[in-house]
Amino acid sequence: MSRILCVEDDAAILRLLTVVLAADAHQLVAATTAAEAMEVVARGDLNAILLDLGLPDRDGLELLVAILAACRVPVIVVSARDAVSEKVAALDLGATDYVTKPFDGEELRARLRVALRQNGSSTNGDGAIEHADIRMVPSRHEAFLSGRALALTPREYALLQALVEARGRILTHTMLLERVWGEAHREDVEYLRVAIRSLRRKIEADPAAPLLVRNEPGIGYRLA
Amino acid sequence: MQRLAPYAIGLVGVAVVSWITSAMLPTFGLASSALLFLLPVLLVSARSGTWPGMITALAGSTAYNFFLLPPRFTFQIHGLDNVISVVVLVSVALVTSRLAVRLSSREAEALVRARASAELAELSTVLAKQPAENALERGMAFMERRFGQLWLLEDALLEEGQAGLSPLDLAAAAWAFHNGDTTGHGTDTMSAAEWTFLPLAPRHGPQTAVAALARPPDGSVRPPSELHHAAQLLHLIGQTRERDLVEAERREHAMIAESDRLRRNLFAALAHDFRTPLTVVTGRLALLAQGNADAGEALVAAQRIDRMMDDLLGAARLEEGSLRPHLESLDVIDSICAALEVVPVPLTVRVERAIPDNLPFIQADPVLLNHILVNIIDNAQRHARSTVRVSAEETSDALVLAFDDDGPGIPALDRPKVFERFSRIAGGDRQYGSGLGLAIVKGFADAMNISVAVDAAPSGGARFILSIPMTKSVES
Repeated sequence: MSRILCVEDDAAILRLLTVVLAADAHQLVAATTAAEAMEVVARGDLNAILLDLGLPDRDGLELLVAILAACRVPVIVVSARDAVSEKVAALDLGATDYVTKPFDGEELRARLRVALRQNGSSTNGDGAIEHADIRMVPSRHEAFLSGRALALTPREYALLQALVEARGRILTHTMLLERVWGEAHREDVEYLRVAIRSLRRKIEADPAAPLLVRNEPGIGYRLA
Repeated sequence: MQRLAPYAIGLVGVAVVSWITSAMLPTFGLASSALLFLLPVLLVSARSGTWPGMITALAGSTAYNFFLLPPRFTFQIHGLDNVISVVVLVSVALVTSRLAVRLSSREAEALVRARASAELAELSTVLAKQPAENALERGMAFMERRFGQLWLLEDALLEEGQAGLSPLDLAAAAWAFHNGDTTGHGTDTMSAAEWTFLPLAPRHGPQTAVAALARPPDGSVRPPSELHHAAQLLHLIGQTRERDLVEAERREHAMIAESDRLRRNLFAALAHDFRTPLTVVTGRLALLAQGNADAGEALVAAQRIDRMMDDLLGAARLEEGSLRPHLESLDVIDSICAALEVVPVPLTVRVERAIPDNLPFIQADPVLLNHILVNIIDNAQRHARSTVRVSAEETSDALVLAFDDDGPGIPALDRPKVFERFSRIAGGDRQYGSGLGLAIVKGFADAMNISVAVDAAPSGGARFILSIPMTKSVES
């Protein structure tokens, strides 16, 4: 059971979240203002936070920064604002994920599961990392899909490693470009498109209908 | 009388020197006495120029010959002495007067220049004063005090012929406007004009404003130097005017940007207020739908309402013209997958994809393209009987996406109307177009230079075609 803080000023949505999250036996703590949220955060013992950006008493992104400065808990932004620039800003500021209203309850639960996994240990004894059917051993530069060894170029390997380490969490285009190509190429989205395409040819059953490496328009990539 | 004074001074000077040297000849000696005759010549030529100097020099040499040179009191010449004295005195007069004239004209020029720059400095002080809004008026008032009647001619005024000028003056003004020359009275160009026209910008070529300067009240002609000076002052005023125009433009832009921002905030607030209750509706329906087909239907409808909200916001953005596509490199595979994820396709409809995985990347705004694809696919799946087919191919200059359904299709006559706002085309048993959805497809596509068309699919249904123009793109 995890303790989840829901920062949300609408009572009906809070009740809906309580029902949705009850399916995973999570314990829900509610905060309807930014000030209340900061009090709960200060007490600690949270496993994840669902944060609505449209609060009456403080700018949502500002509150996000304050929360992340106060604790190391995954934060999923749940907002009715769907501007891509705001999603990217929230993710770049350190939010774990972003869900827009109206959200799908199943989707939210899945994202929350992904976020909660971030806290758990992600490596095995040999330093291997795993996600779904992919298993990578960075120390030996090995990657396997359902036990089958993959022949990846260093760029493809670095890209897949970043995605696997995120374990289903979304990584913005900028994050991936900085991680794999370096700071100087953070704007070169085309590099990323080329590498994603060649990676898909190696790991997807149908590279034209990819099921593993998913894109969110204007935001970034995640592993299914 | 005044003009004769220098000659008189010269002659008096020569007389005085003759009297002194005659009296003192035994003491001074001939050579020193001769030198003394240089004094009046130097004095007069330096002060009064060549001719008085020459006359003084001739008078001096004559007096020297008559009073001092033996035999004294005769004009008789012995040897070269007298010739030399004449040549020396005349040369001194010539050279001195030349130098003096040049010096004094330099001084006069420097004076004029100093006055001109003092006036330029004064004008810039006047222009720099607060409040900045009426700097131009203050500058023109300054010019009026200095040069007399003066007014600013703006091109619109001239084009309408409302300036109240004679045909010749209008022609001179037009010349000044088009060529940036000073024209009219006192210049080489149409000097018979009543006014003088001076450009406000220090460049040749078209002007946006010209100053019209009246003739001096005494009817005289202004010297070129004065006009030149006036032009320089006007350039300063021209700079102020241009600065004012730029400032006014900036303020207008800022105002438009501010109202855009307010409107966007309003839309964002509306969307937020709308989505909060809708989240509760869809969330609750999703929970109920797990064992109830009716709730499932209600859920699909509620999700549809959310997409309509997107369409309304999109239409508002198109309407206010605030659409600024942010183009980036995209893989159409990503775009199509993302759109297919959003649209709930009923189990009775199959989606086929015929998309090669080696297409070039496109340049488009990911969010706008997503909206376009969602609307087209949504439209297709609603009209399909059993299949929606999405295909892509590369042509010489475009990447073409085609969306086919096997529904009733759209009659050829109605096809051009499909993308019109609020048009609903009767087709078979159902109607194509949600009124807004396809109009947004067209609007967003236009904004990104993507062309949209509708045709018949091989299966007899409708085919929607997107042609995305290709620029040079790198394939791995």
